[in-house]
Amino acid sequence: MDAATPPRGPAVYFDGTSSARNDVVVEAGATDLRILSSGRPGHERLLDAWAYAELQRMSAPEGVLRLGRRGETLLARLEIGAPELAAAIEDRAAALDRGGAAERRLRRKVVVLSFAAAASLIVTAAFGLPALASRIIPFVPLAVEHKLGDAIDNNIRGALDAQHLGARFACGTAPSEMAGRAALGKLAGKLETAAALPFALHVVVVRRAEPNAIALPGGRIYVDDGLIAAAQSPDELAGVLAHEIGHVAHRDGTRTVLQTAGLSFLFGMMLGDFVGGGAVVIAARTVLKSSYSRRVEAAADAYSVDLMAKAGGDPHALGVILKRIAGGKNEGRNEGMKLLLDHPETKGRIAAIDAAAVAGTPVPLLDVADWSALKQICAPLPANATGSAPVH
Amino acid sequence: MTTADASVPPPAGAVRFLGNEAAYWRLRIKGAGLLVLTLGIYRFWFATDVRCYLWSNTEIGGETLEYTGLATELLGGFLLAIAIVGPLYTAIATAALTLDTADGAIAAIGFLLLVLLGQFALYRARRYRLTRTVFRGVRFDQHGSAWRYAVYALLWWTLAVVTLGLAYPWTQASLQRFKMRHTGYGDLPGSFAGSGTELFLRGLPIWLLVVGPIVFAFVALGRMVDWSALNGMMAEDESDPLALLAANAGIEVFFVAAAALGASVVAAVLLYPLFAAITMRWWICGLRFGAVTVRSRLSTAQVYGVYLRYLLYVLPFLVAVTAVGGVLVFLSGRLIGSNRDSMLAELFAGAISLTTYVAIVLGASTIYQVVVTFAMWRLSVQTAELSGAAALDSVRASGAPDSALGEGLADALGVGGI
Repeated sequence: MDAATPPRGPAVYFDGTSSARNDVVVEAGATDLRILSSGRPGHERLLDAWAYAELQRMSAPEGVLRLGRRGETLLARLEIGAPELAAAIEDRAAALDRGGAAERRLRRKVVVLSFAAAASLIVTAAFGLPALASRIIPFVPLAVEHKLGDAIDNNIRGALDAQHLGARFACGTAPSEMAGRAALGKLAGKLETAAALPFALHVVVVRRAEPNAIALPGGRIYVDDGLIAAAQSPDELAGVLAHEIGHVAHRDGTRTVLQTAGLSFLFGMMLGDFVGGGAVVIAARTVLKSSYSRRVEAAADAYSVDLMAKAGGDPHALGVILKRIAGGKNEGRNEGMKLLLDHPETKGRIAAIDAAAVAGTPVPLLDVADWSALKQICAPLPANATGSAPVH
Repeated sequence: MTTADASVPPPAGAVRFLGNEAAYWRLRIKGAGLLVLTLGIYRFWFATDVRCYLWSNTEIGGETLEYTGLATELLGGFLLAIAIVGPLYTAIATAALTLDTADGAIAAIGFLLLVLLGQFALYRARRYRLTRTVFRGVRFDQHGSAWRYAVYALLWWTLAVVTLGLAYPWTQASLQRFKMRHTGYGDLPGSFAGSGTELFLRGLPIWLLVVGPIVFAFVALGRMVDWSALNGMMAEDESDPLALLAANAGIEVFFVAAAALGASVVAAVLLYPLFAAITMRWWICGLRFGAVTVRSRLSTAQVYGVYLRYLLYVLPFLVAVTAVGGVLVFLSGRLIGSNRDSMLAELFAGAISLTTYVAIVLGASTIYQVVVTFAMWRLSVQTAELSGAAALDSVRASGAPDSALGEGLADALGVGGI
């Protein structure tokens, strides 16, 4: 090439053994880069020669070509500021990746592969984790489930008891409430017999105005006072109860723990919470969680339909009470966020329930007397019993 | 002028920052977009790019720093950390479920273990970064036991919390001394000369204004409430203690508490830049490498400027994103119109809300990283000045690169780092 006068120019050289700054002359030879101590032309001493193949570009500010040697433990560095000399060296050393095309290709590959990995993790979380949880659940001893239920119960009772009623939070303890309690026992007993679970159910009605019920792992079910008020027939209440029994029978408490743990691992640890970007992961987690609970709720609905048919009640009643509760709640409200809510949309649920329920001639699960007794399982409290009232 | 321009060597002790904000904005915005696309897997490459930029644009005595870490090293460290932290979390959860000890004990032991591991990780991560920092062909180094540091840090931070932050200056001084004592540039040993007492005296007015109102409120409440009567009432009636408090001392207690809390929060917000300026100056001035000392001319007004500028950027950003998100939700509701229960409408609204949320968090964080973190780095560098810089000319190389396990652990535990 230009063997006659190889390009040369000033540079700064650090030999890697000391921090001493050496002003040198660099000569871009045919096969290697020659580092010469500066002196009069012709009197320069050769300090080192670096083959082009072993050159490596190191990170540097703009306008500086900083070179090191590949695979070298010694951190010798050469810094070239003159643009023409830098260009000449880049021309000769393909390893320096002039223009950064190779680096960009590599980076694109990283982005594509990372994207693929993220997509794969989402699919795993959406389908793999629920399937895995279902396979693991049969191997989790019931004793663990009871323990989990007790632990949750300790926390949740305080949270549910917003009015701080304490001992008076549960209904069916006062003498006037005993008939209601007996009726509840009768209703729950019918369902429990039909369900034939490997452990006992424990149904408690509590003083809460919400039309809701909640099942804990291990068989404890809290039914809100408000739900009994909203129910217009014993079978409607039984339908919701059967739905909650479905959660217990499917061991959804354990399922939730397993799925949440798996999700935390994939979307808490693997995808980590880097500065600011945690938001994406939280968003993905929210969507996945709601997809889990939609499936769990749909399964509990199907269980309710089945159990009500077995017990001789009306399987459609669950749909009827769901519709009433949803109608009362949603009037005039923005419904935009249902994707993120725990329960599948009511319309779809009711349609699924009606489709699954076979036509029959149901007999109400409680007679009129028992039903009216159950309606009064929560006797009004004396005025001074609520803790939040001022005490003077 | 470039670093290799040998004709006019800059003064030996001069410290400069060569980078510019526009380039850093581009780096950050591109990185944030790729983070979203890869659910954060890109963070190892992003962090490496950011460090390369900051290091190589920081110039000391005419020579810039160089970051030699690789993204694949961070990835490897992270995978190793997952292999350690995954089983550890599982063991703690299993123990909590199976052992018959009170839940609190297991949780406390687990928490303690994780805090220790977090401090261990931070120390090792610092070692990774230092051994990947090269200056004039010689690397920085950190030795010393990370477990010893973890125990030391746990004890000092406990003291700082127990004393409501009064011990914070000595905690900082002591931990900085530990870190710098084990830090070196080649064979030039580091040390830290900042004094806890000095930081305490400078920070005391801030502490009085921020924590003072709360302490005052507690004392005032102590006088207003008849404690023995309150105890009696609590014993009789196990219901709402707040209601009983109001019944005993009158509703005024809540006004006192709210006023104290309000004063404390306002003071904290107004004084935070002052706090940041004081600690930054104190830290920089305390750094030593052999005979090399550092001075900082960082002014408090400059730091206030940084935070004011952040508000100026982030508030309009938040308003704009929220407005766009709101309009989109409204429009999608209108478009889908009558068919309100449809899955499509749900999907739309959900997607818009999630996107808005991600945009707000990621955007605000990107703005913070550029307008505050980057600006503080640049300011701190440009206001620093070395004396005794001649000692930097004859440092012998020593030390070897460390693994990225610490970075990975810090990442997996969520204690920062990357």
